[in-house]
Amino acid sequence: MQEKTITVTIDERGNSTLDLDGFAGKSCERAFDDFRGGDLVKEERKKAAYYTGQQVQREKTQH
Amino acid sequence: MSKYSVNQTVLREEKYVVEALQEMGFEVEVYPDGAQLNSYYAEQEAKVANIIIRRQHLRGAYGDIGFTRQPDGQFAMVKDELDEYRGYGAKWLGRVQQLYKEKQTLAMARAKGYTLKGREVVETSEGQQVRLQFVARR
Repeated sequence: MQEKTITVTIDERGNSTLDLDGFAGKSCERAFDDFRGGDLVKEERKKAAYYTGQQVQREKTQH
Repeated sequence: MSKYSVNQTVLREEKYVVEALQEMGFEVEVYPDGAQLNSYYAEQEAKVANIIIRRQHLRGAYGDIGFTRQPDGQFAMVKDELDEYRGYGAKWLGRVQQLYKEKQTLAMARAKGYTLKGREVVETSEGQQVRLQFVARR
């Protein structure tokens, strides 16, 4: 099973980036909310693994 | 990779604002109900803040610097406009936000069971970046 990692990079200009790796679906959203805190999101991108994970979860639910 | 975002740090938690300022070497006063800031021009309308650094602790500053809690819960920086050019402008605030975000992130991660895997400081052309890596248990 792939390790779930979160990388937070904080610069000196009041910005940070949040990079979630190995997550899918709801667990991704949960970790994202935890690490975003109350910060303002300026840009957000979901990657392929996010959608792949959702599909797998849906398939499991149907069986 | 499953998700990536760029965020603007918002100062909300008093504890970490105070800790960030203290780490920068400032003596900080905290007033839950607010206290007046001293400014360079005595005739200026008095500003009120909840977290204050008095000017005697701010090298070269004309007035006190404060952080006032806004109705939406965010802290906003309050200062003499003159101090923008005395080293207490956007760059200074950015450093406060950087320290705040690191402290707030580490505390949240500890409380929610994430494991800190590494911390590194990276020198870039735009200044220092702090990189924190965590692992989720599940």
